[in-house]
Amino acid sequence: MDIFITLVINGLAQGALLFLLASGLSIILGLMGVVNFTHGTLFIWGGYVYIWIFTLTDSFLLGILAAVGVTFLMGVFFEKFFVSRVYGNVPAQILITLGLQVIFTDLVRLIWGATPLTIGRPDFLADTWIVGGIVIVQYRVFLIAVGVIVAFGIHLLLNKTKIGMIVRAGVQRPDMVRALGININTYFTFVFAGGAALAGLGGALYAPLVGSMASTAGMHNQVLAFIVVVVGGMGSFMGSAGGSVLLGLMGSGIAWFAPGFASVANVGLMAIVLAFKPSGLFGLAVKK
Amino acid sequence: MMITKDFSKKRLIILALLLAGLSVIPHVSGLSTITLFSRIFIMAIYAMSYDILRGYMGFINLGHAMFFGTGAYAVGVMFRNFGSTLPVFLIAIVFSVVFSSIAAFIMGKIVFRSGGKGPVVVVAGAMTTLALGEIVRHTAERWRSVTMGADGLSYRIPEIFSNRILFYYYALIFMIVMTLVLRQFVLSPTGRVLMSIRENEQRAEFLGYDTQKYKLIGLQVAGIASGLSGVMFGVLNRFANTELLSVQQTLNALLMTLVGGTGTLYGAIIGSGFVNIVQSQLLNFRSVHPVFERWLLFFGAMYVIVVIFMPRGFVGLYYTLTDKQKAKVQKSAVGKS
Repeated sequence: MDIFITLVINGLAQGALLFLLASGLSIILGLMGVVNFTHGTLFIWGGYVYIWIFTLTDSFLLGILAAVGVTFLMGVFFEKFFVSRVYGNVPAQILITLGLQVIFTDLVRLIWGATPLTIGRPDFLADTWIVGGIVIVQYRVFLIAVGVIVAFGIHLLLNKTKIGMIVRAGVQRPDMVRALGININTYFTFVFAGGAALAGLGGALYAPLVGSMASTAGMHNQVLAFIVVVVGGMGSFMGSAGGSVLLGLMGSGIAWFAPGFASVANVGLMAIVLAFKPSGLFGLAVKK
Repeated sequence: MMITKDFSKKRLIILALLLAGLSVIPHVSGLSTITLFSRIFIMAIYAMSYDILRGYMGFINLGHAMFFGTGAYAVGVMFRNFGSTLPVFLIAIVFSVVFSSIAAFIMGKIVFRSGGKGPVVVVAGAMTTLALGEIVRHTAERWRSVTMGADGLSYRIPEIFSNRILFYYYALIFMIVMTLVLRQFVLSPTGRVLMSIRENEQRAEFLGYDTQKYKLIGLQVAGIASGLSGVMFGVLNRFANTELLSVQQTLNALLMTLVGGTGTLYGAIIGSGFVNIVQSQLLNFRSVHPVFERWLLFFGAMYVIVVIFMPRGFVGLYYTLTDKQKAKVQKSAVGKS
C-alpha cells in the first residue's frame, strides 16, 4: 500500500511535467498543423537557463521567470522567421524544426559544455514529509500543484477569454476565422511562443527533480510528449492532460515492476492507440 | 521535370563520361575518399527508396530506418554467428528482402488502414511510423544477446569485400543496378498509379484502382531497396549499432532527398553526394578550429537553409534554370519572326 501511494505521487509528478511539454505541442499541432520538433530543445534551454540564473542569484523564482522568458522569446523567433514560412507543408516543417532543434541543442553544448550540469532543489522544497510511514517528497507535490494550476489557467484562457475563443475556432476552421477579418497569424505566433514557454517551464522544473540537466534530455522527453499527444488526441487540450497523467502513472508503475519495458510500453501504447482509435483516447476528432 | 523512357544521345554521352570518371577515382585518390564515395553510392539508394515514398506517394515515413538498420544488422549478426563467407552474405540478402517486405506489409496495413485525406492524415502517418520505428530500435537495444545492445556490433567480412578499391566498384555497380530497377518501377504502370494517387487519391479510387494495394506495393518496394542498401552499408562499415535504426537515420534520408530534389529519383544521388561530402568536410575541419567540434551546428543550418531557399533541391533548381533559358530562347525566336 505504501509503495502504491508513492508510485501514484511519482506518476502524477511525472505526468505534470509531461503535461507542460505536451499541452503546447498539442495546441500547436491542432491550430497550425505543425509537428514541432523544437520542443525538446526548448525544454533543455529552459533547464539550462534556470540552472544558470539559479546559481547566479540563488533565487528559485528568478530562475523560473528567466527560463520562461528566454524560451518565450525563442518561440517568437522560431515562429516569425522559420516556421511561418512553411505552413501547410508537413515535410518542410519537420525538417526546419528539426534543423533548429539540432542547432540549438548544439548551442547549449557550446555555451554550457557537453557534460550534464548538476543542480540541487531549492531549500524550501528540499525536504520530505513522512505521513503514516510514507515518505512524500515535497518537490513532487509542488510539481503536481504547478501542473494543476497551469492546466486550470490554460483551461480558463481557452474557454473564458476572447483569445481562447479565437484559438479554439482556429483549431477547427482557420480559413473561417480569417474570413471573419481576424489576423490569425498573430495568434499563431502567440500560441507557438506560449507553447515554447510551457516547454521551458517544464525544463526548468525538471532539472531540480532529476538533479541534473543533460543536453540529450530534450529528444527523450520530446518523444514522450509526442506519445502523449497521440494517445490523448491531437489538438485536444483535455486529451493531453489525460494522456500525460496516464503516461506518468504507467511510467512510474512500470519503472517499479518491470523497468526493462519502460520505453517499449510507451511506444507500444501509442501504436495500439493509433491502430484502434486514431483520434486519441480522450480527444474529440478534430476535423480539418 | 519527368523521368522519361527515352535516353537522348547527349544524355548517354554525359552518363558514359560520368561513369568513366567515377571508375578512375579509386586509382587516383586516397582510402578515405574511396570510402566516402562508396558510402555516397550506398546512401544514394537508401535516399532513393525514401524518394519513392515521399516523392511518388506523398507519404512521410519516420520509421524508414527500420529497413536500413535491419539490413545492416542482418549481415552483422549472420557473419558473427555463421562465419564470414559469401553464402552467408547471400542468405543475409534473402533475409533482408523477406523481412523488409513483411515489415512493410505490416506497417502499410496499420498506416494505410484509416482513410481520409489532408495534412492530418500525413501527420498521423508520420507519428505511427515514428512509433513503429522506435519499437524496432528499442527491441534491438533490449535484445542484447543477438545485437549487443547499445554497444554496437562489430564483425569480420568475407575476404572478397575486404579490398576497399574492389568494394568501391561493387558499391558503384549496386547503385547503377538499383537505380535502373527503381527507375523501371517508377516508369511501370504501377508506378504511374502511385503518382496518380499522390496527385489525387480520390480520383484514382474512382477510376477503379485499389489504392491501398498500390500503396502497399510502393512501401514494400521502398522497404526492400532500403534493406538492400542497409546490407551493403553493413559490409562497408563492418559495424552496426542502434543508431542505424534511429529517427535520425530516417531524417538523413529525408534531408538527402530534399537536397537533391523530391520526386526526381536521380536527385537522391546528388543529395547523397552533397550531404555526405559536407558531413565529412565538417568533421575534417575539427582540427582547424575548435568551433567545428560542434559541427552539428552547421549541419542543422543546412536543414533550415535548404528548406527556405531551395525547396525543390538541386535538381529542381536545375530544371528552373533550364526552363528559364528555354523560355528566353522561345521569346527571342518569337520576336524575330
